[in-house]
Amino acid sequence: VRLFGALLLLTGIAAGQGFTHRGFIDLRVLAFPQTAPNDSSHAIGEALLRYEASRAVLPGLRVHAGFDARTDTHHQTERSARLDWQDRGVKRPAFSVRRLSAVYGRRGVTAEIGKQFVRWGKTDILTPTDRFAPRDFLAVVDNDFLSIPAARLTWERGPLTVDTVWQVRFTPSRTPLLNQRWAVLPEQTRGVAISDLGARHPGGSAFGLRANYIGRGFDAAMSFYDGWNHLPLLDGTIQLLPPTAFVERYYAQLRTYGVDASVPLPWFVVKGETAWFTSTTPTADEYVQYVLQLERTAGEWVFVGGYADEHVTLRRNPLDFAPDRGLARAFLGRASYTIDVNRSFAFESAVRRNLDGVWLRGEYSQAFGQHWRATAGITLIRGETTDFLGQYRRNSHATIAIRYSF
Amino acid sequence: MNKAVVLCLCLCMSATAFAQDALEIMTEVQRRSRTNSQHYEGTLQVTSDNSRVTEKRWVYDRIGAHGSSKAVLKFTAPAEVKGMALLILNHPDRASDQWMWTPAINRERRIALQDRSTRFFGTDFTFEDLEERDVSQYDYRLLGEEAIAGVPSWKIESTPKRAKGSQYTHSYVWVRKNDYVVARMEGYKRDKLVRSISYSDIAKVQNTWTARRLEVHDPGRNSRTVLVLDRLEYNVTLKDEDFTLQALRRQS
Repeated sequence: VRLFGALLLLTGIAAGQGFTHRGFIDLRVLAFPQTAPNDSSHAIGEALLRYEASRAVLPGLRVHAGFDARTDTHHQTERSARLDWQDRGVKRPAFSVRRLSAVYGRRGVTAEIGKQFVRWGKTDILTPTDRFAPRDFLAVVDNDFLSIPAARLTWERGPLTVDTVWQVRFTPSRTPLLNQRWAVLPEQTRGVAISDLGARHPGGSAFGLRANYIGRGFDAAMSFYDGWNHLPLLDGTIQLLPPTAFVERYYAQLRTYGVDASVPLPWFVVKGETAWFTSTTPTADEYVQYVLQLERTAGEWVFVGGYADEHVTLRRNPLDFAPDRGLARAFLGRASYTIDVNRSFAFESAVRRNLDGVWLRGEYSQAFGQHWRATAGITLIRGETTDFLGQYRRNSHATIAIRYSF
Repeated sequence: MNKAVVLCLCLCMSATAFAQDALEIMTEVQRRSRTNSQHYEGTLQVTSDNSRVTEKRWVYDRIGAHGSSKAVLKFTAPAEVKGMALLILNHPDRASDQWMWTPAINRERRIALQDRSTRFFGTDFTFEDLEERDVSQYDYRLLGEEAIAGVPSWKIESTPKRAKGSQYTHSYVWVRKNDYVVARMEGYKRDKLVRSISYSDIAKVQNTWTARRLEVHDPGRNSRTVLVLDRLEYNVTLKDEDFTLQALRRQS
C-alpha cells in the first residue's frame, strides 16, 4: 500500500518540469486450434494496462515508476487485488510494481537503486551474458522481462563503461503453470495428479561486473556474474497412493564469465556473445553457451540471423526448465519489413540444427492514428516430443492484439 | 610548348581558385551557423506515396559545434515511440557514432555505418542526414549561380573525401548569397537523385540565420517529410554529461 501511495504521489505530480509518462492498454486474443493433454482450452483473452512515469526531483536525480494491471480468461493471472512487488508468484500478479527506482547521475557516474531493469549483452536472439534479466515464461515463446531489486553503479569515461550490479534479492523467472499447455508433462504422468510444491528461493544476493569498450570499429565487453540462475531446476517425487507427482522448483548457484562484441563489417554487423556457466550446485550442468549473429539493413528490410550452441563441460543431467539452453544448437532469424510509415511485417524463426524442432512466427502490424495499433500473427510450432521446441507442437496459435498507447 | 605550359598552369590555377571559392563559401556557412548549443522541438509530418499523413514529434538538443558536436534526439510522439532516443557523437575526421535507445527493452543499439542510409523511423530522413559534418570532410566545386525561391544562390557540388563515408556519391548544395544559409540540398547516388531537402522559413534566431522548415523528399518512394522547428534556441545551458549512453538510460 505504501508503494502504491508512492506511485500515486509520483504520477500525480504531472505538472512539474521534467515529468514524463507513457503507457498502453493491450488487449489480445490467442486462438489454439489444438488442445493439449493438460489444457482443453482453445482461446485465451488477455488484458494489460502498463503505466510508466518519470520525474526529475533534484538536479541529477530522477525517480522512475512503472505499474502493471492485468487480467485474463485463463487464470494465468491472480484474482487477488494485492499489489505485488516481488514477482515471485507462480501466476502473474493482477497488480504489480514494474519499476520503482531512483537514479542519480553526475560526472560520468550513474547510480540507480530500487526495482529496475538491468540488461547486458549485445545479441538479440539469445543473450548468454544477460544474467540479471529474469522473464515471465508462462507462455514460453511470448515472454516478457521482469525487473529486479538492485543497486547499480555505472562509471563512464570516454569509450569505457564499467557497470557493477548488486542484486539484493533473488527474482526467479516465472515458469509455465503445471495445469496449462506450456507445461508439457511426460507421458508417464498421464492419470497422475500433479502437485506443485512451490519454489525454494535462494536467500543470498547476486553480484555482477561488466566492462564495455566502444572502439572506433567495434564494441566489446567482458562480464562476470556471481549469483543464481533465474531458471529453475526441478525436483520431482512420486507418491503411489493416490498416484501423485510432486514438483518443486529450486535454483542453482551460478557463476558466469562472459564476453560479447559487435563489429560492423561492410555487408553485415557481426555480433557475438559467449558465457561460461559454472555452478557449485551438485545437480546443475556446467557449460559454455555462444551465439553468433549477423545483422543487415537493406532498404526497408532488417535481417537478423544467427546460430546458438552450447558445449557442456560438466554434465549432471538435471531436470530443469531452461528455454535458453533449449534454443542451443539452433539457427535463429528475424526479418522485418516496413511497408510504410504505419505498417510493418515481421517474420521470426528458430530451427534446431537436427530439424527436431521448428518455431515460426509471422506478424503484421498496423498503426491507426497517433494512438492505436493492431497486430495479427500466426505462430507455428512443429517437431519431436523430445525436442525443447518440438514438445510444444500442439501450441501453434494465432494472435490478434489491439493496443492503445498514451 | 611554353604557351601550352602557361595555359595548363592558368587552367589549374583557375580551377584551384574556383574550388577555393566553394570551400570559402561553405566555411563561411559553417562559421555563421556555429553556436555552442541548440535546442528545438520538432514536428514532423510524413506524407507517404498514397497521401497518408503521419505526425511525429521529437525534442533535439545539441552541444558543441560542427565536427565535434554531440546531439540527442528524443521522440515525444506518437505515444508508442515516446522515449526512444538517438544519440549522435559527431567527429571532425569521420562519420559520426550513433546509438538508438529503446526504453521498452532497456537497451541501446549501435547504428552501423552501412545502415546510415536507411530511413530514420519511417521519416524521409536517413540516419546520415541527422549528422553534422565538418566542411573538411568534403571536396567542393562551385558550379554557378541559381535563384532558390527568388533568392540568388551559389550552386556547389560537394563530394565526400572518403568514398565510403557517405551514402551520397555527391551532393548539390545551394547557398543563399545574402545570408550564407543553405536553401536546398540534393543528394545523389551516382546519377540518381535519392533525396532532396528544401530549407525555408528562414529567420534570424538569436543572431543566427536559421531555416525553421525543412522539407525532405525521397523520389524513390515518392514520400515527403516536413520538419518544423519550434521553440528554437541557441546557446542554451546544456551539460556534456547528458550526451552519453548512460544519460539516455537515466532519463528513460
